[in-house]
Amino acid sequence: MRLFRHHNIRLILLYTPTFFLFFLLVGCAGKDPIDIEGTSIDVSEQEVDPYEGFNRKSYAFNQVLDAYLAEPVSDAYLWVTPEFMQLGISNFFNNLKDVNVVLNDLMQGKFVQGGQDVGRILLNTAAGLGGLIDVASSVGLEKHDEDFGQTLAVWGVPQGPYIVLPVIGPITGRGVPGAVFDTAANPTSYIGYPVHLLQMLNARATAQGSLRFIDEAALDPYIFTRESFLQYRNNLIYDGNVPVEAGGLDFDDEFYDDDFAEEGSHSLSESEILSGFSVSSESQKKKKSAIDKRIEDMRFKLELKEEKKSKISAGSSGAI
Amino acid sequence: MMSYVFYGKDGGGILKIFKHRKFMAGLFILFFSVNGMLVAEPESKVAKLEATIETTPEAKAVVLTFQKKLLSVMEQGEALGFKGRYDTLEPAILKSHDLARVARIVVGKVWKGFSDVQKKTFVDVFSRFSIASYAHNFKESSGEESFEYEAEEKTARGGVIVHSTFMLPNNKKVKFDYMLKNKSGEWLIINVIANGVSDLALKRSEYTSILEREGFDALIAKITEKIDNYTNQ
Repeated sequence: MRLFRHHNIRLILLYTPTFFLFFLLVGCAGKDPIDIEGTSIDVSEQEVDPYEGFNRKSYAFNQVLDAYLAEPVSDAYLWVTPEFMQLGISNFFNNLKDVNVVLNDLMQGKFVQGGQDVGRILLNTAAGLGGLIDVASSVGLEKHDEDFGQTLAVWGVPQGPYIVLPVIGPITGRGVPGAVFDTAANPTSYIGYPVHLLQMLNARATAQGSLRFIDEAALDPYIFTRESFLQYRNNLIYDGNVPVEAGGLDFDDEFYDDDFAEEGSHSLSESEILSGFSVSSESQKKKKSAIDKRIEDMRFKLELKEEKKSKISAGSSGAI
Repeated sequence: MMSYVFYGKDGGGILKIFKHRKFMAGLFILFFSVNGMLVAEPESKVAKLEATIETTPEAKAVVLTFQKKLLSVMEQGEALGFKGRYDTLEPAILKSHDLARVARIVVGKVWKGFSDVQKKTFVDVFSRFSIASYAHNFKESSGEESFEYEAEEKTARGGVIVHSTFMLPNNKKVKFDYMLKNKSGEWLIINVIANGVSDLALKRSEYTSILEREGFDALIAKITEKIDNYTNQ
Protein backbone atom coordinates (compact mmCIF):
# COMPACT_ATOMS: atom_id res chain seq x y z
CA MET A 1 0.00 0.00 0.00
CA ARG A 2 2.87 2.29 0.83
CA LEU A 3 4.43 1.61 -2.53
CA PHE A 4 1.15 2.38 -4.23
CA ARG A 5 0.86 5.73 -2.52
CA HIS A 6 4.42 6.58 -3.37
CA HIS A 7 3.76 5.92 -7.04
CA ASN A 8 0.67 8.07 -7.00
CA ILE A 9 2.64 11.02 -5.73
CA ARG A 10 5.30 10.43 -8.34
CA LEU A 11 2.69 10.35 -11.09
CA ILE A 12 1.09 13.55 -9.90
CA LEU A 13 4.46 15.31 -9.70
CA LEU A 14 5.35 14.07 -13.15
CA TYR A 15 2.13 14.90 -14.89
CA THR A 16 1.00 18.19 -13.40
CA PRO A 17 3.45 20.12 -15.59
CA THR A 18 2.37 18.05 -18.60
CA PHE A 19 -1.24 18.97 -18.00
CA PHE A 20 -0.24 22.59 -17.78
CA LEU A 21 1.66 22.28 -21.03
CA PHE A 22 -1.37 20.75 -22.68
CA PHE A 23 -3.71 23.54 -21.73
CA LEU A 24 -1.14 26.01 -22.89
CA LEU A 25 -0.89 24.29 -26.27
CA VAL A 26 -4.60 23.83 -26.69
CA GLY A 27 -5.02 27.43 -25.73
CA CYS A 28 -2.62 28.40 -28.51
CA ALA A 29 -4.52 26.33 -31.02
CA GLY A 30 -8.02 26.93 -29.75
CA LYS A 31 -9.96 26.84 -32.97
CA ASP A 32 -12.89 25.11 -34.50
CA PRO A 33 -12.35 21.33 -34.26
CA ILE A 34 -13.24 20.79 -37.89
CA ASP A 35 -10.48 23.12 -38.95
CA ILE A 36 -7.84 21.29 -36.99
CA GLU A 37 -8.90 17.72 -37.50
CA GLY A 38 -7.02 15.59 -40.00
CA THR A 39 -3.67 15.77 -41.62
CA SER A 40 -1.81 18.59 -43.19
CA ILE A 41 -3.47 17.86 -46.50
CA ASP A 42 -6.85 19.23 -45.65
CA VAL A 43 -5.70 21.99 -43.37
CA SER A 44 -2.65 24.15 -43.57
CA GLU A 45 0.65 22.66 -42.53
CA GLN A 46 1.13 25.70 -40.35
CA GLU A 47 -1.88 24.76 -38.26
CA VAL A 48 -1.09 21.08 -37.89
CA ASP A 49 2.60 21.45 -37.26
CA PRO A 50 3.26 24.99 -36.05
CA TYR A 51 6.39 23.99 -34.17
CA GLU A 52 8.06 22.18 -37.05
CA GLY A 53 11.42 23.76 -36.28
CA PHE A 54 11.45 22.46 -32.71
CA ASN A 55 9.86 19.18 -33.76
CA ARG A 56 12.49 18.44 -36.37
CA LYS A 57 15.20 19.02 -33.79
CA SER A 58 13.69 16.72 -31.22
CA TYR A 59 12.91 14.20 -33.97
CA ALA A 60 16.60 14.19 -34.88
CA PHE A 61 17.49 13.83 -31.19
CA ASN A 62 15.14 10.86 -30.87
CA GLN A 63 16.63 9.28 -33.98
CA VAL A 64 20.11 9.44 -32.42
CA LEU A 65 18.81 8.14 -29.11
CA ASP A 66 17.09 5.30 -30.90
CA ALA A 67 20.09 4.41 -33.02
CA TYR A 68 22.54 4.35 -30.12
CA LEU A 69 20.38 3.11 -27.27
CA ALA A 70 16.88 1.82 -28.00
CA GLU A 71 17.64 -0.08 -31.19
CA PRO A 72 20.70 -2.00 -29.95
CA VAL A 73 18.94 -2.89 -26.70
CA SER A 74 15.79 -3.89 -28.53
CA ASP A 75 17.81 -5.92 -31.05
CA ALA A 76 19.52 -7.71 -28.18
CA TYR A 77 16.15 -8.36 -26.57
CA LEU A 78 14.78 -9.78 -29.82
CA TRP A 79 17.92 -11.88 -30.22
CA VAL A 80 17.95 -13.46 -26.77
CA THR A 81 14.19 -13.86 -26.34
CA PRO A 82 12.50 -16.78 -28.08
CA GLU A 83 9.61 -15.76 -30.29
CA PHE A 84 6.92 -17.40 -28.16
CA MET A 85 8.15 -15.44 -25.15
CA GLN A 86 8.10 -12.18 -27.08
CA LEU A 87 4.52 -12.91 -28.04
CA GLY A 88 3.66 -13.85 -24.46
CA ILE A 89 5.18 -10.68 -23.06
CA SER A 90 3.43 -8.59 -25.67
CA ASN A 91 0.12 -10.31 -24.86
CA PHE A 92 0.68 -9.76 -21.15
CA PHE A 93 1.03 -6.00 -21.54
CA ASN A 94 -1.86 -5.87 -23.99
CA ASN A 95 -4.07 -7.61 -21.46
CA LEU A 96 -3.22 -5.03 -18.82
CA LYS A 97 -3.86 -2.28 -21.35
CA ASP A 98 -7.32 -3.72 -21.95
CA VAL A 99 -8.37 -2.32 -18.56
CA ASN A 100 -7.91 1.13 -20.01
CA VAL A 101 -9.61 0.05 -23.23
CA VAL A 102 -12.73 -0.86 -21.23
CA LEU A 103 -12.73 2.48 -19.41
CA ASN A 104 -12.53 4.31 -22.70
CA ASP A 105 -15.15 2.09 -24.35
CA LEU A 106 -17.53 3.16 -21.61
CA MET A 107 -16.57 6.82 -21.80
CA GLN A 108 -17.22 6.74 -25.55
CA GLY A 109 -20.57 5.05 -25.05
CA LYS A 110 -19.45 1.83 -26.76
CA PHE A 111 -21.16 -0.47 -24.28
CA VAL A 112 -21.28 -3.61 -26.40
CA GLN A 113 -17.61 -3.29 -27.23
CA GLY A 114 -16.95 -2.57 -23.55
CA GLY A 115 -18.66 -5.82 -22.65
CA GLN A 116 -16.57 -7.70 -25.17
CA ASP A 117 -13.40 -6.16 -23.80
CA VAL A 118 -14.33 -7.09 -20.24
CA GLY A 119 -14.82 -10.61 -21.59
CA ARG A 120 -11.33 -10.42 -23.12
CA ILE A 121 -9.71 -9.49 -19.82
CA LEU A 122 -11.56 -12.19 -17.89
CA LEU A 123 -10.84 -14.86 -20.45
CA ASN A 124 -7.19 -13.96 -21.06
CA THR A 125 -6.44 -13.61 -17.37
CA ALA A 126 -8.18 -16.82 -16.36
CA ALA A 127 -7.65 -19.13 -19.33
CA GLY A 128 -4.67 -17.36 -20.88
CA LEU A 129 -2.24 -17.79 -17.97
CA GLY A 130 -2.60 -14.29 -16.60
CA GLY A 131 -2.67 -12.69 -20.04
CA LEU A 132 0.31 -14.46 -21.62
CA ILE A 133 -1.90 -16.11 -24.22
CA ASP A 134 -4.50 -14.17 -26.14
CA VAL A 135 -7.23 -16.81 -25.89
CA ALA A 136 -9.95 -14.24 -26.44
CA SER A 137 -8.84 -13.39 -30.00
CA SER A 138 -8.95 -17.03 -31.00
CA VAL A 139 -12.56 -17.36 -29.83
CA GLY A 140 -13.59 -14.28 -31.77
CA LEU A 141 -13.29 -11.54 -29.14
CA GLU A 142 -11.03 -9.27 -31.12
CA LYS A 143 -8.76 -6.73 -29.54
CA HIS A 144 -9.93 -3.14 -29.73
CA ASP A 145 -7.71 -0.14 -29.61
CA GLU A 146 -9.10 2.65 -27.48
CA ASP A 147 -7.35 5.24 -25.37
CA PHE A 148 -8.14 8.53 -23.72
CA GLY A 149 -6.78 10.53 -26.63
CA GLN A 150 -9.46 8.93 -28.80
CA THR A 151 -12.11 9.50 -26.15
CA LEU A 152 -11.23 13.19 -26.06
CA ALA A 153 -11.55 13.28 -29.85
CA VAL A 154 -14.97 11.64 -29.62
CA TRP A 155 -15.92 14.28 -27.06
CA GLY A 156 -14.98 16.96 -29.55
CA VAL A 157 -11.66 18.13 -28.16
CA PRO A 158 -9.61 19.50 -31.08
CA GLN A 159 -6.47 17.69 -32.17
CA GLY A 160 -4.17 20.56 -31.28
CA PRO A 161 -0.69 20.92 -32.68
CA TYR A 162 1.58 18.03 -33.61
CA ILE A 163 4.47 17.84 -31.19
CA VAL A 164 7.53 15.62 -31.13
CA LEU A 165 8.64 15.28 -27.53
CA PRO A 166 12.24 14.36 -26.78
CA VAL A 167 12.47 10.68 -25.76
CA ILE A 168 8.68 10.20 -25.87
CA GLY A 169 8.15 10.86 -29.56
CA PRO A 170 5.22 12.11 -31.64
CA ILE A 171 2.06 13.24 -29.89
CA THR A 172 -0.67 15.83 -30.43
CA GLY A 173 -1.93 18.50 -28.08
CA ARG A 174 -4.92 16.28 -27.40
CA GLY A 175 -2.68 13.27 -26.94
CA VAL A 176 -0.88 14.76 -23.92
CA PRO A 177 -3.73 14.50 -21.40
CA GLY A 178 -4.61 11.29 -23.21
CA ALA A 179 -1.24 9.82 -22.38
CA VAL A 180 -1.48 11.02 -18.78
CA PHE A 181 -4.83 9.32 -18.30
CA ASP A 182 -3.70 6.15 -20.08
CA THR A 183 -0.61 5.90 -17.90
CA ALA A 184 -2.68 6.35 -14.77
CA ALA A 185 -5.22 3.76 -15.92
CA ASN A 186 -2.60 1.17 -16.84
CA PRO A 187 -1.88 -1.29 -14.02
CA THR A 188 1.71 -1.57 -15.29
CA SER A 189 2.34 1.98 -14.06
CA TYR A 190 1.95 0.81 -10.47
CA ILE A 191 4.38 -2.09 -10.62
CA GLY A 192 8.13 -1.60 -10.50
CA TYR A 193 10.97 -0.46 -12.73
CA PRO A 194 11.93 -3.87 -14.13
CA VAL A 195 8.41 -4.16 -15.52
CA HIS A 196 8.56 -0.63 -16.95
CA LEU A 197 11.80 -1.51 -18.65
CA LEU A 198 10.35 -4.69 -20.09
CA GLN A 199 7.32 -2.74 -21.27
CA MET A 200 9.55 -0.23 -23.06
CA LEU A 201 11.57 -3.02 -24.64
CA ASN A 202 8.41 -4.70 -25.78
CA ALA A 203 7.08 -1.45 -27.25
CA ARG A 204 10.29 -0.80 -29.17
CA ALA A 205 10.48 -4.41 -30.36
CA THR A 206 6.88 -4.29 -31.55
CA ALA A 207 7.57 -1.11 -33.47
CA GLN A 208 10.65 -2.64 -35.13
CA GLY A 209 8.84 -3.49 -38.37
CA SER A 210 7.24 -0.07 -38.76
CA LEU A 211 10.47 1.74 -37.98
CA ARG A 212 12.33 -0.29 -40.57
CA PHE A 213 9.58 0.45 -43.07
CA ILE A 214 9.99 4.18 -42.47
CA ASP A 215 13.75 3.85 -42.96
CA GLU A 216 13.27 2.07 -46.23
CA ALA A 217 10.36 3.96 -47.73
CA ALA A 218 10.54 7.53 -46.47
CA LEU A 219 12.14 10.25 -48.54
CA ASP A 220 11.65 12.63 -45.63
CA PRO A 221 11.35 10.47 -42.49
CA TYR A 222 10.12 13.39 -40.38
CA ILE A 223 7.15 14.14 -42.62
CA PHE A 224 6.52 10.46 -43.27
CA THR A 225 6.31 9.83 -39.53
CA ARG A 226 4.13 12.86 -38.92
CA GLU A 227 1.64 12.08 -41.67
CA SER A 228 1.37 8.40 -40.90
CA PHE A 229 1.06 9.09 -37.18
CA LEU A 230 -1.74 11.63 -37.64
CA GLN A 231 -3.58 9.52 -40.19
CA TYR A 232 -3.23 6.40 -38.09
CA ARG A 233 -4.57 8.19 -35.02
CA ASN A 234 -7.45 9.57 -37.05
CA ASN A 235 -8.20 6.06 -38.25
CA LEU A 236 -8.30 4.80 -34.66
CA ILE A 237 -10.64 7.60 -33.62
CA TYR A 238 -13.09 6.49 -36.31
CA ASP A 239 -12.47 2.80 -35.50
CA GLY A 240 -11.15 2.15 -38.96
CA ASN A 241 -14.09 3.73 -40.78
CA VAL A 242 -12.90 7.23 -41.50
CA PRO A 243 -15.73 8.95 -43.33
CA VAL A 244 -14.85 10.36 -46.70
CA GLU A 245 -15.46 13.91 -45.46
CA ALA A 246 -13.03 13.48 -42.56
CA GLY A 247 -10.11 13.45 -44.92
CA GLY A 248 -9.22 9.81 -44.71
CA LEU A 249 -9.95 8.28 -48.04
CA ASP A 250 -11.12 10.81 -50.44
CA PHE A 251 -10.23 14.34 -49.46
CA ASP A 252 -13.58 15.32 -50.84
CA ASP A 253 -12.67 13.87 -54.22
CA GLU A 254 -11.20 17.15 -55.35
CA PHE A 255 -7.88 15.81 -54.21
CA TYR A 256 -7.98 13.25 -56.96
CA ASP A 257 -9.21 15.52 -59.69
CA ASP A 258 -7.10 15.78 -62.76
CA ASP A 259 -7.47 19.49 -62.86
CA PHE A 260 -6.70 19.90 -59.18
CA ALA A 261 -3.05 20.50 -59.83
CA GLU A 262 -3.88 23.09 -62.46
CA GLU A 263 -6.87 24.75 -60.93
CA GLY A 264 -6.74 27.81 -58.80
CA SER A 265 -3.15 28.71 -59.51
CA HIS A 266 -4.30 31.82 -61.36
CA SER A 267 -5.68 33.28 -58.20
CA LEU A 268 -2.47 32.60 -56.31
CA SER A 269 0.25 35.17 -56.05
CA GLU A 270 3.68 34.33 -57.39
CA SER A 271 5.16 34.07 -53.93
CA GLU A 272 2.46 31.63 -53.00
CA ILE A 273 3.28 29.46 -55.97
CA LEU A 274 6.96 29.55 -55.17
CA SER A 275 6.61 28.96 -51.47
CA GLY A 276 3.95 26.60 -52.63
CA PHE A 277 1.24 24.60 -51.13
CA SER A 278 -1.02 27.13 -49.67
CA VAL A 279 -3.08 24.27 -51.01
CA SER A 280 -4.53 24.47 -47.57
CA SER A 281 -6.40 27.70 -47.86
CA GLU A 282 -7.51 26.81 -51.38
CA SER A 283 -8.67 23.35 -50.43
CA GLN A 284 -10.34 24.75 -47.36
CA LYS A 285 -12.28 27.19 -49.47
CA LYS A 286 -13.27 24.37 -51.77
CA LYS A 287 -14.26 22.21 -48.86
CA LYS A 288 -16.37 24.99 -47.47
CA SER A 289 -18.08 25.56 -50.78
CA ALA A 290 -18.68 21.82 -51.09
CA ILE A 291 -20.24 21.78 -47.64
CA ASP A 292 -22.33 24.84 -48.49
CA LYS A 293 -23.54 23.06 -51.59
CA ARG A 294 -24.48 19.99 -49.61
CA ILE A 295 -26.38 22.11 -47.11
CA GLU A 296 -28.17 23.81 -49.97
CA ASP A 297 -29.09 20.42 -51.45
CA MET A 298 -30.42 19.28 -48.11
CA ARG A 299 -32.47 22.46 -47.73
CA PHE A 300 -33.85 21.98 -51.21
CA LYS A 301 -34.86 18.42 -50.40
CA LEU A 302 -36.45 19.53 -47.13
CA GLU A 303 -38.40 22.21 -48.94
CA LEU A 304 -39.61 19.64 -51.45
CA LYS A 305 -40.75 17.41 -48.63
CA GLU A 306 -42.55 20.24 -46.91
CA GLU A 307 -44.19 21.23 -50.18
CA LYS A 308 -45.40 17.68 -50.62
CA LYS A 309 -46.67 17.60 -47.06
CA SER A 310 -48.54 20.87 -47.44
CA LYS A 311 -49.99 19.63 -50.73
CA ILE A 312 -51.13 16.44 -49.08
CA SER A 313 -52.62 18.26 -46.12
CA ALA A 314 -54.24 20.76 -48.51
CA GLY A 315 -55.63 17.84 -50.50
CA SER A 316 -56.95 16.11 -47.44
CA SER A 317 -58.51 19.26 -46.05
CA GLY A 318 -60.10 19.78 -49.47
CA ALA A 319 -61.54 16.29 -49.29
CA ILE A 320 -63.00 17.07 -45.90
CA MET B 1 -24.46 -32.16 4.77
CA MET B 2 -25.29 -30.22 1.61
CA SER B 3 -27.21 -27.64 3.51
CA TYR B 4 -24.17 -27.17 5.75
CA VAL B 5 -21.98 -26.44 2.73
CA PHE B 6 -24.47 -24.03 1.24
CA TYR B 7 -25.66 -22.22 4.32
CA GLY B 8 -22.75 -22.91 6.73
CA LYS B 9 -22.97 -22.85 10.47
CA ASP B 10 -23.99 -19.24 10.99
CA GLY B 11 -24.92 -18.60 7.39
CA GLY B 12 -21.20 -18.69 6.44
CA GLY B 13 -21.30 -21.26 3.61
CA ILE B 14 -20.90 -20.92 -0.13
CA LEU B 15 -24.04 -18.85 -0.50
CA LYS B 16 -22.35 -16.17 1.59
CA ILE B 17 -20.39 -15.35 -1.48
CA PHE B 18 -23.48 -13.80 -3.03
CA LYS B 19 -23.48 -11.24 -0.25
CA HIS B 20 -20.10 -10.01 -1.46
CA ARG B 21 -20.40 -6.90 -3.53
CA LYS B 22 -17.28 -7.75 -5.51
CA PHE B 23 -18.60 -11.12 -6.50
CA MET B 24 -21.89 -9.66 -7.60
CA ALA B 25 -20.06 -7.02 -9.60
CA GLY B 26 -18.02 -9.78 -11.26
CA LEU B 27 -21.17 -11.70 -12.10
CA PHE B 28 -22.70 -8.60 -13.55
CA ILE B 29 -19.64 -8.00 -15.71
CA LEU B 30 -19.60 -11.59 -16.91
CA PHE B 31 -23.22 -11.30 -17.92
CA PHE B 32 -22.37 -8.06 -19.66
CA SER B 33 -19.54 -9.61 -21.65
CA VAL B 34 -21.51 -12.66 -22.75
CA ASN B 35 -24.30 -10.34 -23.72
CA GLY B 36 -21.80 -8.29 -25.72
CA MET B 37 -20.63 -11.36 -27.61
CA LEU B 38 -24.17 -12.30 -28.51
CA VAL B 39 -25.25 -8.86 -29.63
CA ALA B 40 -22.18 -8.01 -31.67
CA GLU B 41 -22.52 -10.71 -34.31
CA PRO B 42 -25.72 -9.74 -36.18
CA GLU B 43 -24.74 -6.07 -36.14
CA SER B 44 -21.67 -6.60 -38.31
CA LYS B 45 -23.63 -8.76 -40.73
CA VAL B 46 -26.16 -6.02 -41.26
CA ALA B 47 -23.39 -3.52 -41.87
CA LYS B 48 -21.84 -5.78 -44.50
CA LEU B 49 -25.14 -6.30 -46.26
CA GLU B 50 -25.80 -2.59 -46.43
CA ALA B 51 -22.36 -1.89 -47.81
CA THR B 52 -22.67 -4.34 -50.68
CA ILE B 53 -25.69 -2.68 -52.21
CA GLU B 54 -24.76 -0.74 -55.35
CA THR B 55 -21.62 -2.35 -56.65
CA THR B 56 -19.26 -1.61 -59.46
CA PRO B 57 -18.12 -5.05 -60.58
CA GLU B 58 -15.46 -3.67 -62.94
CA ALA B 59 -13.71 -1.70 -60.17
CA LYS B 60 -13.87 -4.64 -57.82
CA ALA B 61 -12.46 -6.95 -60.50
CA VAL B 62 -9.47 -4.67 -61.06
CA VAL B 63 -8.59 -4.86 -57.38
CA LEU B 64 -9.17 -8.60 -57.03
CA THR B 65 -7.13 -9.42 -60.13
CA PHE B 66 -4.28 -7.28 -58.90
CA GLN B 67 -4.36 -8.81 -55.42
CA LYS B 68 -4.33 -12.29 -56.91
CA LYS B 69 -1.25 -11.42 -58.93
CA LEU B 70 0.42 -9.93 -55.88
CA LEU B 71 -0.20 -13.07 -53.85
CA SER B 72 1.17 -15.31 -56.58
CA VAL B 73 4.30 -13.16 -56.79
CA MET B 74 4.67 -13.41 -53.01
CA GLU B 75 4.37 -17.16 -53.17
CA GLN B 76 7.19 -17.45 -55.69
CA GLY B 77 8.89 -14.42 -54.16
CA GLU B 78 12.15 -15.96 -53.07
CA ALA B 79 12.65 -17.92 -56.27
CA LEU B 80 11.92 -14.88 -58.42
CA GLY B 81 14.25 -12.53 -56.59
CA PHE B 82 13.79 -8.74 -56.69
CA LYS B 83 14.22 -8.47 -60.46
CA GLY B 84 11.85 -11.35 -61.10
CA ARG B 85 9.21 -9.84 -58.83
CA TYR B 86 9.67 -6.42 -60.41
CA ASP B 87 9.32 -7.76 -63.94
CA THR B 88 6.27 -9.87 -63.08
CA LEU B 89 4.52 -7.08 -61.20
CA GLU B 90 5.29 -4.28 -63.66
CA PRO B 91 2.62 -5.12 -66.26
CA ALA B 92 0.07 -5.93 -63.53
CA ILE B 93 0.65 -2.60 -61.77
CA LEU B 94 0.66 -0.56 -64.98
CA LYS B 95 -2.60 -2.21 -65.99
CA SER B 96 -4.40 -1.62 -62.69
CA HIS B 97 -2.92 1.67 -61.44
CA ASP B 98 -3.06 5.11 -63.01
CA LEU B 99 0.52 5.97 -62.09
CA ALA B 100 0.73 9.01 -64.36
CA ARG B 101 -2.21 10.55 -62.56
CA VAL B 102 -0.85 9.61 -59.15
CA ALA B 103 2.48 11.18 -60.04
CA ARG B 104 0.68 14.39 -60.98
CA ILE B 105 -1.29 14.45 -57.74
CA VAL B 106 1.64 13.81 -55.42
CA VAL B 107 3.51 16.93 -56.50
CA GLY B 108 0.44 19.17 -56.24
CA LYS B 109 0.34 22.55 -57.89
CA VAL B 110 4.01 22.47 -58.75
CA TRP B 111 3.19 20.07 -61.58
CA LYS B 112 2.16 23.01 -63.71
CA GLY B 113 5.58 24.55 -63.34
CA PHE B 114 7.42 21.41 -64.50
CA SER B 115 8.94 21.43 -67.97
CA ASP B 116 7.89 18.63 -70.34
CA VAL B 117 11.17 16.83 -69.72
CA GLN B 118 10.70 17.15 -65.95
CA LYS B 119 7.16 15.82 -66.20
CA LYS B 120 8.33 12.81 -68.18
CA THR B 121 11.28 12.16 -65.86
CA PHE B 122 9.14 12.41 -62.79
CA VAL B 123 6.39 10.07 -64.02
CA ASP B 124 9.05 7.59 -65.10
CA VAL B 125 11.00 7.66 -61.81
CA PHE B 126 7.82 7.65 -59.74
CA SER B 127 6.45 4.63 -61.62
CA ARG B 128 9.67 2.70 -61.12
CA PHE B 129 9.61 3.59 -57.41
CA SER B 130 6.00 2.38 -57.05
CA ILE B 131 6.73 -0.95 -58.72
CA ALA B 132 9.98 -1.39 -56.78
CA SER B 133 8.12 -0.73 -53.50
CA TYR B 134 5.64 -3.47 -54.29
CA ALA B 135 8.43 -5.84 -55.33
CA HIS B 136 10.29 -5.12 -52.10
CA ASN B 137 7.42 -5.15 -49.61
CA PHE B 138 5.64 -8.23 -50.94
CA LYS B 139 8.68 -10.40 -51.28
CA GLU B 140 7.74 -13.61 -49.53
CA SER B 141 4.86 -15.66 -48.28
CA SER B 142 4.27 -18.10 -45.49
CA GLY B 143 1.36 -19.55 -47.42
CA GLU B 144 -1.14 -18.11 -44.95
CA GLU B 145 -1.53 -14.66 -46.49
CA SER B 146 -4.69 -13.81 -48.31
CA PHE B 147 -6.87 -10.87 -49.31
CA GLU B 148 -10.48 -10.76 -48.26
CA TYR B 149 -12.90 -8.52 -50.08
CA GLU B 150 -15.10 -6.59 -47.63
CA ALA B 151 -17.22 -4.02 -49.38
CA GLU B 152 -17.20 -1.09 -51.73
CA GLU B 153 -18.62 2.38 -51.75
CA LYS B 154 -19.07 5.16 -54.23
CA THR B 155 -17.72 8.60 -53.54
CA ALA B 156 -19.48 11.86 -54.24
CA ARG B 157 -17.61 12.53 -57.46
CA GLY B 158 -17.86 9.12 -59.03
CA GLY B 159 -14.88 7.35 -57.49
CA VAL B 160 -15.12 3.89 -56.01
CA ILE B 161 -13.48 2.70 -52.81
CA VAL B 162 -12.93 -1.04 -52.56
CA HIS B 163 -12.43 -2.19 -48.97
CA SER B 164 -10.43 -5.34 -48.32
CA THR B 165 -8.40 -6.97 -45.58
CA PHE B 166 -4.95 -8.46 -45.94
CA MET B 167 -4.81 -11.50 -43.68
CA LEU B 168 -1.44 -12.37 -42.17
CA PRO B 169 -0.25 -15.24 -40.00
CA ASN B 170 -1.00 -15.08 -36.22
CA ASN B 171 -4.42 -13.48 -36.70
CA LYS B 172 -2.83 -10.27 -37.89
CA LYS B 173 -4.76 -8.12 -40.31
CA VAL B 174 -4.09 -5.02 -42.34
CA LYS B 175 -6.97 -3.10 -43.85
CA PHE B 176 -6.35 -2.27 -47.50
CA ASP B 177 -8.68 0.25 -49.11
CA TYR B 178 -8.31 1.08 -52.77
CA MET B 179 -9.51 4.29 -54.33
CA LEU B 180 -10.35 3.91 -58.00
CA LYS B 181 -11.31 6.43 -60.64
CA ASN B 182 -12.70 5.84 -64.06
CA LYS B 183 -10.42 6.80 -66.91
CA SER B 184 -12.13 6.56 -70.28
CA GLY B 185 -14.16 3.52 -69.33
CA GLU B 186 -11.43 1.81 -67.31
CA TRP B 187 -11.31 1.66 -63.54
CA LEU B 188 -7.82 2.35 -62.25
CA ILE B 189 -6.37 2.41 -58.74
CA ILE B 190 -5.10 5.83 -57.73
CA ASN B 191 -4.63 5.36 -54.00
CA VAL B 192 -4.01 2.58 -51.52
CA ILE B 193 -4.94 3.20 -47.90
CA ALA B 194 -3.36 0.76 -45.45
CA ASN B 195 -4.92 0.76 -41.97
CA GLY B 196 -6.20 4.25 -42.60
CA VAL B 197 -2.88 5.62 -43.81
CA SER B 198 -3.22 6.99 -47.32
CA ASP B 199 -0.19 6.34 -49.49
CA LEU B 200 -1.05 9.25 -51.74
CA ALA B 201 -1.47 11.74 -48.89
CA LEU B 202 1.77 10.60 -47.31
CA LYS B 203 3.73 10.94 -50.54
CA ARG B 204 2.12 14.25 -51.35
CA SER B 205 3.21 15.73 -48.02
CA GLU B 206 6.72 14.42 -48.46
CA TYR B 207 7.16 15.40 -52.10
CA THR B 208 5.71 18.87 -51.86
CA SER B 209 7.88 19.54 -48.83
CA ILE B 210 11.05 18.32 -50.53
CA LEU B 211 10.24 20.25 -53.71
CA GLU B 212 9.72 23.36 -51.68
CA ARG B 213 12.87 23.08 -49.63
CA GLU B 214 15.31 21.33 -51.95
CA GLY B 215 13.93 21.40 -55.46
CA PHE B 216 13.22 19.01 -58.32
CA ASP B 217 16.67 17.44 -58.72
CA ALA B 218 16.92 16.59 -55.02
CA LEU B 219 13.52 14.88 -55.15
CA ILE B 220 14.53 12.76 -58.14
CA ALA B 221 17.86 11.91 -56.47
CA LYS B 222 16.09 10.80 -53.30
CA ILE B 223 13.61 8.61 -55.13
CA THR B 224 16.36 7.06 -57.23
CA GLU B 225 18.34 6.30 -54.09
CA LYS B 226 15.35 4.47 -52.64
CA ILE B 227 14.92 2.43 -55.82
CA ASP B 228 18.61 1.49 -55.67
CA ASN B 229 18.26 0.42 -52.03
CA TYR B 230 15.32 -1.80 -52.88
CA THR B 231 17.14 -3.28 -55.85
CA ASN B 232 20.29 -4.06 -53.90
CA GLN B 233 18.70 -5.54 -50.81
